[in-house]
Amino acid sequence: MTSDLKTRIESGDLHFLDGLVLLGTIASQRWFGGKSKDVLDARVLDAGVTPGEPPILAIAIVEVRYGLQTHDLYHLPLGFRPSADGWKESVIAETEGWVAYDAIADPELARRMLELMRTDSSLQTPDATIVFRPTGELPEEVESARPMGAEQSNSSLVLDERYALKLYRRIAPGMNPELEVLRYLTERGFDHTPALEGYVAYEGRPLEATLATLQEFVPAKGDGWDLALDTLAGGEPDWVPEHARRLGEVTAWLHNALASDPSDPHFAPEDPSNEALGLLSASIDEEIEQVFASLPDSPALEQVRGRGEEVRDHLRLLTNIGHVGRVIRTHGDYHLGQALWTDEEDWLILDFEGEPARSVPERRRKTSPLRDVAGMLRSFAYAASAAKIQRNVDPPESWEDRCRAEFLDGYLDTADPALLPSSRDQVERLLTIFELEKAVYELRYELHNRPDWVAIPVAGILRMLEQS
Amino acid sequence: MSDVERHEQPVHWFESNPNWFKTAVFYEIHTRAFFDGNDDGSGDFRGLQQKLDYLQWLGIDCIWMLPFYPSPLRDGGYDIADFYGINPDYGNVEDFRIFVEAAHERGMRVIVDLVMNHTSSDHPWFQASREDPDGPYGDFYVWSDTDEPYSDARIIFIDTEISNWTHDPVRGQYYWHRFFSHQPDLNYENPAVQDAMIEVLRFWLDLGLDGFRLDAVPYLYEEEGTNCENLPRTHEYLKRVRAEIDANYPDRVLLAEANQWPDDVVAYFGDGDECHMAFHFPVMPRMFMSLRREEALPMIEILDQTPQIPDNAQWGLFLRNHDELTLEMVTDEERDYMYEEYAKDPRMKLNLGIRRRLAPLLDGGRDEIELMHAILFSLPGSPVLYYGDEIAMGDNVYLGDRDGVRTPMQWTGDRNGGFSRADFAQLYLPPLMDPVYGFQAVNVEAQLRLPTSLLRWLRRFIELRKQHPVFGVGDYRVLRPENPKIFAHIRSFSEDIVLCVHNLARTAQAVELDLSMFAGRVPVEMLGNTRFPKIGELPYLLTLGPRGFFWFQLQDPADDQ
Repeated sequence: MTSDLKTRIESGDLHFLDGLVLLGTIASQRWFGGKSKDVLDARVLDAGVTPGEPPILAIAIVEVRYGLQTHDLYHLPLGFRPSADGWKESVIAETEGWVAYDAIADPELARRMLELMRTDSSLQTPDATIVFRPTGELPEEVESARPMGAEQSNSSLVLDERYALKLYRRIAPGMNPELEVLRYLTERGFDHTPALEGYVAYEGRPLEATLATLQEFVPAKGDGWDLALDTLAGGEPDWVPEHARRLGEVTAWLHNALASDPSDPHFAPEDPSNEALGLLSASIDEEIEQVFASLPDSPALEQVRGRGEEVRDHLRLLTNIGHVGRVIRTHGDYHLGQALWTDEEDWLILDFEGEPARSVPERRRKTSPLRDVAGMLRSFAYAASAAKIQRNVDPPESWEDRCRAEFLDGYLDTADPALLPSSRDQVERLLTIFELEKAVYELRYELHNRPDWVAIPVAGILRMLEQS
Repeated sequence: MSDVERHEQPVHWFESNPNWFKTAVFYEIHTRAFFDGNDDGSGDFRGLQQKLDYLQWLGIDCIWMLPFYPSPLRDGGYDIADFYGINPDYGNVEDFRIFVEAAHERGMRVIVDLVMNHTSSDHPWFQASREDPDGPYGDFYVWSDTDEPYSDARIIFIDTEISNWTHDPVRGQYYWHRFFSHQPDLNYENPAVQDAMIEVLRFWLDLGLDGFRLDAVPYLYEEEGTNCENLPRTHEYLKRVRAEIDANYPDRVLLAEANQWPDDVVAYFGDGDECHMAFHFPVMPRMFMSLRREEALPMIEILDQTPQIPDNAQWGLFLRNHDELTLEMVTDEERDYMYEEYAKDPRMKLNLGIRRRLAPLLDGGRDEIELMHAILFSLPGSPVLYYGDEIAMGDNVYLGDRDGVRTPMQWTGDRNGGFSRADFAQLYLPPLMDPVYGFQAVNVEAQLRLPTSLLRWLRRFIELRKQHPVFGVGDYRVLRPENPKIFAHIRSFSEDIVLCVHNLARTAQAVELDLSMFAGRVPVEMLGNTRFPKIGELPYLLTLGPRGFFWFQLQDPADDQ
């Protein structure tokens, strides 16, 4: 019996996992994005299997189907071992003498993936080719592999404290913007982000998609978010304001690098079309209208309830800008958690996936670099409130303002002025528009996910209203 | 580190979905009219590319482009002089490829008009055919010593043509043309023509194009004693084209233009092995008729006569397009009615139709425009919007032929409506400048700013439709309430049930609907997410404002957790 199932696994036929077992596994994951949807079933759409002795590695594409004819695709690397091995981690199913589990739990299989990349290998599946590509020199031996935690849309492993392997879970057609941007920055020697070392992609009839990237792993003291909370709680409230200027400079270098190659059409800076600002403000306007039309009962919302029209009027005043600078590829989901303070005491920028809730075309769209800047400004506001909510510390009253001012000074002194609106007044207006966009997006997100945090975007919206 | 390798192949930005067109919103563009990217007075691919963000924002899934091939432009480019080229006004093949890739990156597909039936008389094939009857192209067209064959075939362009045959003094024979005399029909009896046209399709599909709108497909073959339309061999050839696409070009689409009765048009779907889509022509004039007469009957009748189509096929539905509002598929009496109501100025008539845009046809009435879109979006099929109608652009009946509905897109209130930075005199056609529909009153920039504008409304409405695939894939069942002014129907796909109720009258109306089969369900109005009273066994009473409409999702309270 055992060998029969092995034959099936090796031939890529993993349908014995289809249905509730698979669904149960996926639905319980942090990276599963369909929690609020009406889930019907899950099945293995396609899989590529490595030959050889167990443990067997299978790269599976899993389809989760919802009502209303919609679905999502997930990347699920699977491991298979004989039951006799006694494997217990992240088990999905045990049947016919074999255990199936999430491969990310198995260091042996993580090493296997790196080996496939090093040797520039491919796996054939019934519908596609899964390609493993190195972009740097990879070692023949890897000793250790440890998980680095799961995010909204991915899970990561650290290999030998030298490489970070990031597996994208929910996959979308096209090239993941992270692979695209990391490749671009690595080729140009940008040294404030860990270099790209390899990637895994699925190329076939159902879709083309990026499954994983391998980056250099850089030892660090922590990310900006944790450091902000730790220093506020640890009696060092000056730490972030004192390092915000440098963060602004590094951010500007990132933008200058992203805008540095006019010959690459995917990155060349462009003049925004005449409608660009109109489309942006129309989209934000609709978002405000929708969010304010359905505000739930909550004391935290009292100060903004019924003020949707006021916010929209304010937005309309701001959008008389004229020159808005140029549009470029940006980070797309920029906040303190994406900046790493390294052991070498400098900032590194991480995670170029963009906001996972947005579509790939939206995440890849060129936009003003000030959108990233606004993201960081909002993040200072979040950190100040989070210190209260999570650590029960009141940051000094001027903390957020100091962070903002230092960060902005560092940024504006360093960024290529051609990318920005021509006057400081216009820069500030455009920043306010993006901050408003962000705050409204946050409001919607928090209402759905973390009602205790609603006060933060509310304060951001009020701040803008009071400026007028 | 080693060289970072680059993707040489264009990236595929779509998930495989052979039925994508069933839930797509199409947008028809005249490249010349959309945006001038090189300041020469004529729209082009570079300009179009700059406007892709706008189309993506609007929610468009697929752009349909009018013909862009080299052409003497005596029929708006439908007179093709080279199937493998691009009209230099628009750019070149490389510009086109880049444009398609840019659209794909934004999640939009592109289909293009292709005329299979005929070419321009300037086409080298025709020139070779007339000069050398025994040469390789001698048999590429339909030649005859007399003008007598196929006398049962009607003349389509009755305003300009007196016969389907024209004498060619060079070859000394008559050639066959179903449309203008400068558009000789290709001879599909000749296997070389059949192969040559498939090569043309392959050329563009290899460049990444997502499909074709096949112009004038019913006329490919001729046969004595028939009206020379919809002949079996025409269908055979289209099946061959489809087989080629299915074998080598997944997820592409063929959209047939067959201005015929639904019974004849469904033949173009075959058994799901011919065209993926076909336009539903007759429903369109009846929507306008229903609106003017304030009764649902004309629409209900034509939908009753519309046969079932294969699961992998879809109707293309539209309110207006680049041609005249065609009245071929109505009775003489209905045509008279339409002319009287919608073409008060004789200049508005063209052939058997009315050459006007949506907004002027509806006297600019916002309620009417919204209502017509609501009906369009609610019917089984995929809606095809015509550029400019999203901002209620007008037309210019003083321009010749169909140019009056092909004027420059109105982007701003600036010079030339923001369409071009060229001198006014250089423009391919003057933009509208009248006080009602001129670019100073009607333009994208202004409507983007105004939250209550038609443009902003339509974007929300497109978004709503796309959230409910039932409109693309669901069943259609008409309700027949006593009030004849109400057009109400149910769209359903498994548990997703939508009730659409439209008031065609210019006065408020009440209607009682028999919804007893849905007793226990709760109608939730879809634009505002408002719950209405639960459906019981008694008739369900609704009141609608003038030209008002409601779309409800009929929710099962048991599904509410």
